[in-house]
Amino acid sequence: MTYASHLDILVADDTAVSRALLCNSLEELGFTRVRVENDGKAALHKLMQKPAHLVISDYNMPGLNGIELLRALREFQATRSIGFILVTGRSDRSLIDEGRKYALNNYLAKPFTTIGLKASIEAVFGKLA
Amino acid sequence: MAPDLVRNIVLGELHVSDEPGLVICTTVGSCVAACLFDPVRGLGGMNHFLLPDGAAAARDDGAQRYGVHLMELLINSLLSRGASRTHLQAKAFGGASLTRGLTNAGASNVEFVEWFLRVESIPLVGGSVRGTQGRRVQFWPNSGRARQMLCAPIEVVVPRSQPPAVQPHGELELF
Repeated sequence: MTYASHLDILVADDTAVSRALLCNSLEELGFTRVRVENDGKAALHKLMQKPAHLVISDYNMPGLNGIELLRALREFQATRSIGFILVTGRSDRSLIDEGRKYALNNYLAKPFTTIGLKASIEAVFGKLA
Repeated sequence: MAPDLVRNIVLGELHVSDEPGLVICTTVGSCVAACLFDPVRGLGGMNHFLLPDGAAAARDDGAQRYGVHLMELLINSLLSRGASRTHLQAKAFGGASLTRGLTNAGASNVEFVEWFLRVESIPLVGGSVRGTQGRRVQFWPNSGRARQMLCAPIEVVVPRSQPPAVQPHGELELF
């Protein structure tokens, strides 16, 4: 049985179109428990109230960027173990290395594909059925 | 008066500036040049893109993601230099239909950019799209002023493919 329908996911992206594209792909892959936030601070606030299993976050966001959000999540007991996939248009290796310092689980380069998104989630949680 | 500084961009490029007097130039046919600017900050930028896959582009997921990525690059460049998302305004140029007989890639590019701006709540305050002529576009990012010059129309007709001629000799089997 697939874990897709049990995984709580929060998508953080300040671009509405990108949020919609991510949600469409997640829906296509069978994920039904998906929340969205449009900036890093709001995402952190919501995750403190109700943690998720996975955060899929854009890098460029107002308030907190993707790495700052990751760093903040790792500081609190309740959110420390949340899986984190960074979505970025920058192919900057130093950005990924910076994320690794805070236990970044994976990253996804833009423009992404549904297959690429699936692979990046599977690398964290295992094969989807 | 000092002459304007000119920065030319081509397909796939973008440029962002707040320099007074700097003008960003490009020439578009079926491609689209999206000009975004924050009039409060006095900062703007232009990109020049063409979605892959012609007429299907506006409905194709892959092409959409590519276009979204290019628009995001422009928006992120502006935001990282101090523009405010709530102040952003847009002007769009291009998307002409230059070739009769081929898929209308220009219309798909315009459809995409208009959809993107609508969803992102960025008001489209000017520009010139569609039609049958290429455009030379000038954009002053510091003020948001834009100007276009239409290029002379080019009549390109792609002939319909002709069925192969039947040889007068040889056998022809009809089904």
